[in-house]
Amino acid sequence: MKSKTKLIFTFLLLITLSINVVAQERKKADKDTEIWRYEIEAMQTGVTGTYLIKVWSYSKKPEVAIEQSKKNAVHGIVFKGFTGKSGVPGQNPLANNVNLEEEKSGFFKPFFADGGKYMKFVSTSTDGAVAAEDRMKIGKEYKVGVIVSVNVAELRKDLENASIIKSLSKGF
Amino acid sequence: MKRIIIAFLCSTVMLYSQAKKPSIMIFPANVWMVSNGYVSEIDNQGSKVQVMDYQKAFDNNADLYSVVNKIENMMKERGFPLENLASSLKDLVDKKALNNMDANSNGSNIASSPRDMLLATARPDIVLEITWSVNTLGPKKSVTFDLKGLDAGTNKNIASAGGTGNQLMGAILPIMLETAVLSHIDNFNGQLMTHFDDMFENGREISLDIKVWDDSPKKLNDEINEDGDELKDDIKKWVTTNTVKGRNKLINSSPNMMTFKEVRIPIYAEDGTTAFDADAFATNLRKHLRKTYKLPAESSAIGLGKSEVVIGGKR
Repeated sequence: MKSKTKLIFTFLLLITLSINVVAQERKKADKDTEIWRYEIEAMQTGVTGTYLIKVWSYSKKPEVAIEQSKKNAVHGIVFKGFTGKSGVPGQNPLANNVNLEEEKSGFFKPFFADGGKYMKFVSTSTDGAVAAEDRMKIGKEYKVGVIVSVNVAELRKDLENASIIKSLSKGF
Repeated sequence: MKRIIIAFLCSTVMLYSQAKKPSIMIFPANVWMVSNGYVSEIDNQGSKVQVMDYQKAFDNNADLYSVVNKIENMMKERGFPLENLASSLKDLVDKKALNNMDANSNGSNIASSPRDMLLATARPDIVLEITWSVNTLGPKKSVTFDLKGLDAGTNKNIASAGGTGNQLMGAILPIMLETAVLSHIDNFNGQLMTHFDDMFENGREISLDIKVWDDSPKKLNDEINEDGDELKDDIKKWVTTNTVKGRNKLINSSPNMMTFKEVRIPIYAEDGTTAFDADAFATNLRKHLRKTYKLPAESSAIGLGKSEVVIGGKR
């Protein structure tokens, strides 16, 4: 009986520890997003109002990096933009104010929280499956490239309606 | 309490103030019009001049219709609907026909001068010029396009985009063009936005022409005071005083004419709510000349960005 209780206790401890580790990794990934530690690569022209991009994210746990890619994709489209490649032009960020994230932190904190509204505008094009060449181990962590589609038209409308960015016809 | 009421009124005024929205229209570029033969030659006092026949182009080229429609849709989705060139041309024909037939109870017709006829063309504030060509490589086709945004008041290029879309098999022109333009339209609109931001910050940029009638009682080089100031000096001073941060550039001046470019006029009139444009700016100058020198003058504008004051009488 005693050994059974010990086993259950150890099992629960392990689960708690692993949840903690994932939570720590997620927190680190969020910090990476805030300090722009991700890369965006143009893939091809998406359908009307969408960008198809590959986002490279970093984490010790590949699954965290894959999940963070969605957040990084929306973050990058809003604040960073991306350079183009042959046949696919780059895009400027939706925000043309470099301090916007700090100035409107009240809006962006919940927007980019886990399960936040950013999820509405992004989807992984391969159901999260990552090609072997897009998963690289660099030192102690993984660099993972995920292809995602961002609904820029809806994202822009949402930010315009919340008066975060200006619409083309603002002031007229 | 008084301060709170004033602050509330000011904020309400700012909330409802709206600048005059520039009209934007898509025109096929001259190079496309010439290469497709939609051009006619007219004899202008001995010299042959090429005139673009937009009506003929819209009547005969279904591709042009589709291309213009596609880009208009893209702009509408961005919340900035454009004016349509084909509809404007039709509207002008309808208006002309109606004016020709109209008469009042005394049998008098609608007045129309040769100048009115010259001005009665489609004149947007911003012209979007598009040209495209289809590239064929075996069964695959792609479209190369160039889109240019020109401020009609200043003739400045305010936005441009161009590129070649993906090669597609069996696709029709609007689809190929959509593929090509799609990835460039956001950056193009970004440039338009920069232009509008600049306008709200530094004022609307217009051009101003000052002319003098032959029989004007005063020429621009006539002295107006004992210090030896000429009329043109006072006009320069007035323009500098009434522009945003005094911004303007006098391009040329003679006893009979002055041309100002890069004249930055305020977006709103002095009351802070009424939208202000090139016509209002020219009207204020005309009134200044009348009040200060008892000089009759005529003021007019073309669109939001070109204005003219003719000194010495009325048309």
